[in-house]
Amino acid sequence: MSDVAIGSGVFAGASGRSAVIYNEAIVKKFVIAAMFWAIVAFLVGVVIASQLAWPTLNLGLPFTNFGRLRPVHTSAAIFAFGGSALIGTSFYIVQRTCRARLFGGEALADFVFWGYQFFIVMAALSYVMGFSQGQEYAEPEWHLDLWLTVIWVTYAIIFIGTIVKREEPHIYVANWFYMAFILTIAVLHIGNNLAMPVSLFTAKSYNIASGVQNAMIQWWYGHNAVGFFLTAGFLGMMYYFIPKAAGRPVYSYRLSIVHFWSLIFLYIWAGPHHLHWTALPDWTQTLGMAFSVMLWMPSWGGMINGIMTLSGAWDKLRTDPGLRFSVTAVGFYGMATFEGPVMSIRDVNALSHYTDWGIGHVHSGALGWVAFISFGAIYYLVPVLWQRENLYSTRLASWHYWIATLGIVFYISSMWVAGIMQGLMWRAYDQFGFLQYSFAESVNAVHPYYVIRLLGGLFFLSGALIMVYNLIQTVRSPTTERRRVLPAGAAVAGA
Amino acid sequence: MDIELSDLIVGLLMTVFGLLGLILAAGATDIEIYVFGLSLAGFAVVFVIGLIRRHYDKQDARRHGGSDHV
Repeated sequence: MSDVAIGSGVFAGASGRSAVIYNEAIVKKFVIAAMFWAIVAFLVGVVIASQLAWPTLNLGLPFTNFGRLRPVHTSAAIFAFGGSALIGTSFYIVQRTCRARLFGGEALADFVFWGYQFFIVMAALSYVMGFSQGQEYAEPEWHLDLWLTVIWVTYAIIFIGTIVKREEPHIYVANWFYMAFILTIAVLHIGNNLAMPVSLFTAKSYNIASGVQNAMIQWWYGHNAVGFFLTAGFLGMMYYFIPKAAGRPVYSYRLSIVHFWSLIFLYIWAGPHHLHWTALPDWTQTLGMAFSVMLWMPSWGGMINGIMTLSGAWDKLRTDPGLRFSVTAVGFYGMATFEGPVMSIRDVNALSHYTDWGIGHVHSGALGWVAFISFGAIYYLVPVLWQRENLYSTRLASWHYWIATLGIVFYISSMWVAGIMQGLMWRAYDQFGFLQYSFAESVNAVHPYYVIRLLGGLFFLSGALIMVYNLIQTVRSPTTERRRVLPAGAAVAGA
Repeated sequence: MDIELSDLIVGLLMTVFGLLGLILAAGATDIEIYVFGLSLAGFAVVFVIGLIRRHYDKQDARRHGGSDHV
């Protein structure tokens, strides 16, 4: 099937079938937003990493305090950068794999784009002003939660509506992953944010659950935000862009279906592992641990499927830096989904919980998997969407790859060392049964690793800036303009 | 005046949200609701103006024989 660019859309032409004009303008908007928010998220990450290393950088002002900037960093990374990348790629993929223009027209898609960006900006503003529900990854207060619900339901209507009106009989596996992401996030977001506002004109609200029930619901939400936002959605990305970039079909389509159903069945039960050794009933903790360990199987099944898709096309890693990002991302996915179940084992958790090991684990997933798979998709999409022949510079993309990889290595290895050291210091007793170290001594001991972490973050940010420059040049530079192929035998007039 | 159904629905929806924003800002007891309400009203106005502009851009494009996807 050949695609012809017309205006802001693309005609999908095939013999005997009517042409479809895809809405690519909305995908472009989300790609630009993803790149913008990536820089914001990494920059704020660098700022708060500096604050942890040198607390005077909190500046003594309430709105520059670590406590307020930290949710700005996490929300910018997960919801702004990750969310924009996910929604944008889902709109691109669902149109092409269903051979249908987005359901609901341009206005509805634009409403999702601008409404989502509005949510992000308002949420960030509310954090720096000091308003928060105090629940991790669910900080926005009730009015912002309601706004996000409206946007998310509209997004679901567009995505599912496009699948319903599809012209292809089969629903490609990437769309299954995106659907699981959209529907489950809707349920999680509503379930975790059932709260009673003090009044309609006051931002403060109280969750309907309290105590350990509140904690359980929060981590049912929190872990499945990881499972369905940061995993299922990005797996949809993996199942489309790796085969496209490699020019190979998915290694095993059957395995992808097994991967999908086993992953979504198991993930939803794993939340209690965030509450080991707390007031949560023992059996619930064991349940969470058992399902977390079982998650190894679908996670590694998916990783193997992603990597093996390159069978017969490994040489492309030398020439396609975007594909290199995607494949490395799958490697990090395998590593993070090995480490997670290990950390969920109660006795390991006794050492790792509340330490920087958790931060290292999260960032091997967030930087290595989420960011890298998004970079791979963006490097693929920008020349396609802006109809350019190729990237402005594959060398710059390679520089981005190596700088970012080095940044991740600095980040996660320093956090592993710092975390395990903290855990061991906190549990060390002397011969009289007293704690051997004070908490302040453990803070002092991890300082060098905090500086190394900051260095890793700076590397990652620098790599992203190189990417943004490269992609802007890809769109603007005359050297990347698409070459027109002349029919055989045709000569250029005057040549 | 052939207004697309989705433009009409989204436009009406945004008008309601804009008014809601003004009501929230008017009765706000804290800075967060005040800022959110005013921002929502402003966002609604800009979005609806964008819808109107695109409607006429499309009409112009059709009149000049181009694609109506602008």
